[in-house]
Amino acid sequence: MKLGVFMSDFRGGSDVLNRLSAEKLGIILVGNGIYHATTKENGKSSPLLDKSANFYVLSEDLESRGFSSADVDSRVKPVTYSDVVDLIFNDYEKIIWI
Amino acid sequence: MATKKLAFIIRSLPYKTEASRLALTHAIASQTVEIYLEEGDNIEPVVCFIGDGVLNCLKSQQAMKHYGITSLEQHMKNSLLLDLKVMICKEDVDRFGLKEDHLIMDAEDVGGETKAQLVPYSEIQKVMEEVDHLQFF
Repeated sequence: MKLGVFMSDFRGGSDVLNRLSAEKLGIILVGNGIYHATTKENGKSSPLLDKSANFYVLSEDLESRGFSSADVDSRVKPVTYSDVVDLIFNDYEKIIWI
Repeated sequence: MATKKLAFIIRSLPYKTEASRLALTHAIASQTVEIYLEEGDNIEPVVCFIGDGVLNCLKSQQAMKHYGITSLEQHMKNSLLLDLKVMICKEDVDRFGLKEDHLIMDAEDVGGETKAQLVPYSEIQKVMEEVDHLQFF
């Protein structure tokens, strides 16, 4: 299965996400999920980024919260709304929202 | 003659919920209640950012551009413009590896003179103990 997961929380949802597995897993960080890509606590990146997956972060949500692409962890690719539409239609068979 | 002290403690992240926006608009609005008070009575609101809430204080928020809504940055500057006391928890700012430069510490660009204060949590605790009404958002 090729599974795309929208992650819109910073503090919740990781328990579910940790158990998900897929042949191809894409995690799209949106809303408050963007803090996983930008924020280090006590110098440590979000443990979510250690998961084996393709990570994307929505630029519009980054910029609304005062971040830019330069603040994003190197494992995460900044994408626009139209890029997300392409991901949904071209890269993943199933899409879920956490 | 009496002063009622109110504390608005913001611990929520911005935008996904209205919590932090409500805290700031309520804090600003609390000053207008003075028209209903007796001569000499007063209201003194304090806004404190703790925990994840300190991320509301980041500069360069582009919420108007992307969401078509006023940013929390603008609300924070409006609070400073109206001389509200704004305190940001230093320990939480440090935990996220942020520096004062990353934060909205003043509203000089809109003519404000009051500055936000980066303070240890113990000072915010003291505010919570001193106020008459404590509200968490």
